[in-house]
Amino acid sequence: MARDPKHDVLFRPIKIGPKTLRNRFYQVPHCIGAGSDKPGFQAANRSIKAEGGWAGINTEYCSIHPESDDTHRLSARIWDAGDVRNLRAMTDHIHQFGALAGVELWYGASHAPCMESRATPRGPSQYASEFETLTYCKEMDLDDIACVQQYYVDAAKRSRDAGFDIVYVYGAHSYLPLQFLSPYYNKRKDKYGGSLENRARFWLETLEKVRHAVGADCAIATRFAVDTLYGDAGVEVERDGVKFVELADPLVDLWDVDVGDIAEWGEDAGPSRFYLQGHQVPWTRFIKQIAKKPVLGVGRFTDPEKMTEIVTKGIADIIGAARPSISDPWLPKKIEEGRYDDIRVCIGCNVCISRWEIGGPPMICTQNATAGEEYRRGWHPEKFPKRGSEDSVLVIGAGPSGAECARVLLERGYAVHLYDTAAKIGGHLNSVATLPGLGEWGYHRDYRELQINKLIKKNKSSQLALSQKPMTADAALGYGAEKIVVATGSSWNTDGTNCLSHDPIPGADAGRPDQLTPEQVLEGRKAIGKRVVILNADTYFMAPSLAEKLAVAGHEVTLVTGVHLANYMHFTLEYPNMMRRLHELHIREVHNAFASRIEKGRLEVYDIFGDGSKRTYRGPGVLPRDANRSHRWVEFDSLVLVTGRHSHAGLFKELKDRRAEWEKNGVKDVYVIGDAEAPRLIADATFSGHRLAREIEESNAQLPLPYKREVAVWGVAHLPGSRFEIEYKT
Amino acid sequence: MKILVAVKQVAALEEDFEFRADGRDVDGDFLVMDLNEWDDYSLEEAVKIKEACGGAVEIVAVSVGPPTVDEALRKCLAKGADRAVRIWDEAMRGSDSIAVARILAAAARAEAPDLLFAGVQSSDQAVAATGIATAGFLGWPHAAVVSQFTYTPGAATAVLRRELEGGLLHELEIRTPAVLTIQLGINTPRYASLRSIKQAAAKPIELRTLADLSLNAAEVGEAGSSARVRRMYVPDKGRAELIEGSAAEQAKRLAAIIRESTGAA
Ligand SMILES: Cc1cc2nc3c(=O)[nH]c(=O)nc-3n(C[C@H](O)[C@H](O)[C@H](O)COP(=O)(O)O)c2cc1C
Ligand code: SF4
Repeated sequence: MARDPKHDVLFRPIKIGPKTLRNRFYQVPHCIGAGSDKPGFQAANRSIKAEGGWAGINTEYCSIHPESDDTHRLSARIWDAGDVRNLRAMTDHIHQFGALAGVELWYGASHAPCMESRATPRGPSQYASEFETLTYCKEMDLDDIACVQQYYVDAAKRSRDAGFDIVYVYGAHSYLPLQFLSPYYNKRKDKYGGSLENRARFWLETLEKVRHAVGADCAIATRFAVDTLYGDAGVEVERDGVKFVELADPLVDLWDVDVGDIAEWGEDAGPSRFYLQGHQVPWTRFIKQIAKKPVLGVGRFTDPEKMTEIVTKGIADIIGAARPSISDPWLPKKIEEGRYDDIRVCIGCNVCISRWEIGGPPMICTQNATAGEEYRRGWHPEKFPKRGSEDSVLVIGAGPSGAECARVLLERGYAVHLYDTAAKIGGHLNSVATLPGLGEWGYHRDYRELQINKLIKKNKSSQLALSQKPMTADAALGYGAEKIVVATGSSWNTDGTNCLSHDPIPGADAGRPDQLTPEQVLEGRKAIGKRVVILNADTYFMAPSLAEKLAVAGHEVTLVTGVHLANYMHFTLEYPNMMRRLHELHIREVHNAFASRIEKGRLEVYDIFGDGSKRTYRGPGVLPRDANRSHRWVEFDSLVLVTGRHSHAGLFKELKDRRAEWEKNGVKDVYVIGDAEAPRLIADATFSGHRLAREIEESNAQLPLPYKREVAVWGVAHLPGSRFEIEYKT
Repeated sequence: MKILVAVKQVAALEEDFEFRADGRDVDGDFLVMDLNEWDDYSLEEAVKIKEACGGAVEIVAVSVGPPTVDEALRKCLAKGADRAVRIWDEAMRGSDSIAVARILAAAARAEAPDLLFAGVQSSDQAVAATGIATAGFLGWPHAAVVSQFTYTPGAATAVLRRELEGGLLHELEIRTPAVLTIQLGINTPRYASLRSIKQAAAKPIELRTLADLSLNAAEVGEAGSSARVRRMYVPDKGRAELIEGSAAEQAKRLAAIIRESTGAA
């Protein structure tokens, strides 16, 4: 199908300095966990996007010098010729597909703790980072300023040598250039502080020097947070924001604009729970009115209608995207070919970001199970090896993992029967997506539902069997499939079993009228009283989401939590606004407390650390700490048990136990995937289904094949021409 | 006891398609074929009758069409038909629903079933005539748009309900043999298991020709049809435009559109 002509504007080339972007789709800098140390990962992940039609593709933030070392988080680095060699793999592979490669030159000041390099970061004034609170910087004197500016220049030259077409001076997310611009950081009294002209000086000079060094060969871009969202304590778009753009416009070839800072950068990478597509437009729209150079903006742009509106209404010239490009690396190509249905729409869960926040494991994506697996497992998001046998496959359970497994098996040409008791694909996601703000998570289901229905039309012996009776082991064995995949999911514990005690809580029983599991709350069939206590031992979204839902419905909610409430939401950047939400809904939080027993209408709560700080050996059968005397009763009308989950493993276990019957029924193997194997993130459940579908011909496909590792190699020095041996300075 | 289930392989359009050179149909390369949705329900209704009486019922799926129709018939075998009969002769190409009904009636005379089920209509052509026209050729009692059906094999009559306008229902008693056109929603069609799909793949599909059914070429195909497709085409789309701006701006734009469309300068 041809694309809709009204989207043609998105495919018009645009000049940026000495270079030309072939269309308006641009992958803004974003981390993937590759940096400069995993060049294969870096090259494969980015070049698949070049193949998928993006015009410009960037590194993640790329440190210019050991003084800006973000360890434990993982940035790219362009410190030396070793990094140049490794990053060259990325630029070469991007160029093969006709796209431009960009590098985001980064200096972090106090936000970079320098845990590897042990260098001292320098900043405009001395301050303790609000993000990395134990790190202080040294206040720069004029020599320091010249020195750090030279770091940018040297890094820009190395960037050009590495084959980059676009060189950034990165001043968004409160990194160094913005620190000079913002009075929140800059308390200087000299010519680099005070008036806007003075605060802008560092950034302008740096741009000028970088431009002078490489501007003939490379487009010079700058990334600018046009509003730091602190009012006049920081940068405000209609004041310093537009004025800075006026001053710097002659020095840049491309404006990449966003909002926010680093400590709450979820205001930029806005989770769908709180922000819609295009949420930054009210701030960033001012820039195009001032700038004479092309402007690009971000805001989880996934919809070609919205993108077209952004360009035709003059809000930006170019559509910047991080997450939409992770979720669907072939987004531009699909729009170009009019394959709108095939777009794998980012759900805005920010699980991709969580890995960077955690400190550098490879990026994962809830929607795109191949993200991060391109190089090491050889998985292409849009290309699948043809089936390796004539075996037909029965997949029991159409939740995230079962549906993904079936989809990939169908792509590979297998005959697949996907079977579920529910009337709809999606499993537990169908109810999770009804939680406040999580509607867009349903795109995960929608993508698979649509693809599976399409694929089944082409593959006549395949079938989507919904609204079925629960599958028994007898029926599964007799079904006629050579391979059986059990994807029966998991559910919340009804007896209070949790990660703290690893046992049920006496009296916990969701079979009683005044106790509920999260599923029961979501089903809405059980009456819920006025005073609700949510007992929590889960560190992700379920407890705060239910608290929000119930408080909005008029209940008085108390959260009793034995673990760090919503800890994982720090990593998905949902935490700050989730806490604001709990606060504005007057939800009571009782931290570091859990329940020892439950009776009708009340639970006994104790402080986790109420057992004394002294540990002494007191003989067998006696605890090495004092008795915990903090217990007290808390009353409720309804109690919600968010204590832990368990796999629905019964069917798999029975099928395994009846292995002797496999052969006579023509069954060759039985597998378990997703939550049925072990409860986990939706991203990981999806991955496990995808993984099995790719490897199902293997002799022991239940276990993953080894992947290609990228690690430092003994005997080879990182820096070309240097020695790898142990050498002491004596 | 025998139930004949007349089924059709229907066509759905690919996203992109072209018309045949003669402009009277879509080029077959751009069609995805499948069993007519209504036929899933009539087959299921037959299988339910068979299951309810413990099996002394033979279900025969029958379809008029070229060898590609075997795929739809195999689906019927996988879902519970005992036999499948495909009727074809090149002379049958171009048959309209009346000609198809004439062929099905001939097949019904040969098979002598107690009941003949057809779908209310086919999803591609939607003529909704084949079933009832077959009853006309046979001279059998018939009922259209059946949404509930009760029958004990061997009984001389069956009781059924039909959907009428405005949510009303008709309850009828009907003598057998009879022809019924079955409505969506009368039951929940089952899915075939992989085992039954594999077994169906091994079963024969019986072929009947013009001669087998004592028909002659003039009674079928375009010659035996009362209607002929002249052309098939995509109608011109209407245009829509969302007018934005202040009331004055909107009025101005509206006036311009009226001027443009009435040809006034
Ligand atoms: C996984 C991930 C890592 C990111 N890392 C960077 C980075 O290194 N440098 C940067 O300027 N922005 C980074 N960002 C922010 C994005 O560039 C972008 O501004 C933000 O995600 C909003 O765009 P989106 O709505 O299209 O995702 C990152 C975003 C994501 C999702
Ligand atoms: S992990 Fe979630 S937010 Fe990130 S790209 Fe994938 S779907 Fe989007």
